[in-house]
Amino acid sequence: MVVDLNVNLLGEFGQIALFLILSVLFTIMLVLLPMALRWVGLVPKKPSPTKQSTYECGMQTIGETWVRFNFRYYLYAIIFVLFDILAVFLFPWAVGLRGEHRVFGLIVMGMFFFVLVVGLVFAWKKGALEWK
Amino acid sequence: MNWYLISPQLSLGALALLVVLLDLFIREKRLLAVVGALGLAVPFGFAVSLWGHEEATLYGRLAVDGFSLFFCFLFLGIAFLTLLYSTDYLPRMPGRHGEYYALILLSTTGFTLLAAARELISIYLALELSSLPLYALAAFLRDEKSTEAGIKYLLLGAIASAVLLYGMALVFGLTGRTGLSEIAQALAAGGIREPALLFGVVLLIAGFGFKIASIPFHWWVPDVYEGAPTPVTAYISVGSKAAGFAAILRVFYEAFGQPGWLASDWSLTIAVLSALTMTLGNVVAIWQGNIKRLLGYSGIANAGYIMVGLAAASSLGRSGVLFFLAAYTLANVGAFAAVIAISNKLESDLIEDYSGMARRAPVLSLILALCLISLTGIPPTAGFMAKLYVFNAGVQAGLLWLVIIGVINSVISAYYYLRVVKVMFLNQPASEEGVPSSIPLRTVLFITALGVLLLGVFPYGLLHLAEKAILLLP
Repeated sequence: MVVDLNVNLLGEFGQIALFLILSVLFTIMLVLLPMALRWVGLVPKKPSPTKQSTYECGMQTIGETWVRFNFRYYLYAIIFVLFDILAVFLFPWAVGLRGEHRVFGLIVMGMFFFVLVVGLVFAWKKGALEWK
Repeated sequence: MNWYLISPQLSLGALALLVVLLDLFIREKRLLAVVGALGLAVPFGFAVSLWGHEEATLYGRLAVDGFSLFFCFLFLGIAFLTLLYSTDYLPRMPGRHGEYYALILLSTTGFTLLAAARELISIYLALELSSLPLYALAAFLRDEKSTEAGIKYLLLGAIASAVLLYGMALVFGLTGRTGLSEIAQALAAGGIREPALLFGVVLLIAGFGFKIASIPFHWWVPDVYEGAPTPVTAYISVGSKAAGFAAILRVFYEAFGQPGWLASDWSLTIAVLSALTMTLGNVVAIWQGNIKRLLGYSGIANAGYIMVGLAAASSLGRSGVLFFLAAYTLANVGAFAAVIAISNKLESDLIEDYSGMARRAPVLSLILALCLISLTGIPPTAGFMAKLYVFNAGVQAGLLWLVIIGVINSVISAYYYLRVVKVMFLNQPASEEGVPSSIPLRTVLFITALGVLLLGVFPYGLLHLAEKAILLLP
């Protein structure tokens, strides 16, 4: 890979830095705003047990933070991620598949597919796809 | 696109996939080892037929030259021996033999790609392809120590590859190139004299230093060597080290060989690391009571000796490195094969339990002793010739201080290597029972013993090959 260093890299990334700074400032502002309003006296303070309890959408908030769940989930997650990445990988490949690279691209992607299919067959045969 | 040029790597990867698929459909798992070991003849044949080519393929990312083919032969040899000596150990790991063979072959594919890669991203990918199977293999026994070894190796390996990647990013950021020869051109054009470049180079040394187990990146070695299954330990100790040196040779000579100030900076860094590595490796090895840990520290010390050849920054030093790697591989594989057979019988890796082994298993003990003598560097063994060439290169490059440290270290190392020999030959045996070993393992012992002696007496054939192999590196 060759990159032209004469392009103003700092300038291009500067825009991202600007967004980063803005987002940090915005977050700080959101935290400080209610405090400032309270200090000015615009917001009344009337605490009650319901108001001060921890809020979690749709769940009882009582219990341990470390929850157990079936580790079989990981197998599914890993296999899912694998094929998810394959799908993501296919989009840039499909766009780039033209001109002189056509045959070469097909062969290479065919090999890539083959390796993944072997992996899938392996997982299948070993029973990784069965929920026990 | 000439597919023929990457046929060794392609056929090796295909062999690994074939083993994975066969494992699913056949019951007799020994057949897999036979398929794997015999199948290695295909990539080997391709590599032999490619010898003499000086080309690059895959848009210049993979080199097909003497250097990559020399390492291809070395790695194929290591994989072949590994498949053979694993047979005695595999009954301890029931039910997962197919995966074991496939992971070994996949990792070897990564190694051969690494030796051929001449572009930073390809180097990184090849490194990961070779490392990931090793992490899984280290944890293959699934007992407490083996799992600990696997986790430690995985975590520290991940840190090392992150450091390596950061170094690559810095080099890429300053030169705008990822191809090694293009980086060299950008550096030769001048103007890049920034501390960040040196920082990037140091990070690259750190990342590869993890692979070759040099100080101060050696912390994983003793624990992983002890906990991992013994055949895997042997494979990591020779394969990972050779791959690390292949990558260092390729990257540092091809990309950072010029300008002079940069080359002298990194060769001085490597020289200092080399002195520290061999001294610490040897001194700590004296206290080890476990033979696998002892061989681990001996591996660290040997990395130090090999780095003398790197620091010499001459063609003599480079061919010395290749020769040393081959000699170290033979001696280490032989020693580990003997350890596998003995520890299978004793169910212990403690050196004190080896007492009187010469009477219980004369041939095995003799070959183990021969391999340890070769690791010490006493004639007429391969280890002696290897040290001679590497130290000679050091002296000619004006690194006399480093060579003196190396010679002193060799004397220190004789103490702990010969202590094992003494325990085996002079102490009384605990029992009179013999040590059984399979025919494949005996074959490995025979090959390594023969190789160690042959290279010690007639080193010129291999040395000539090594000199041809490094011809293209600037």
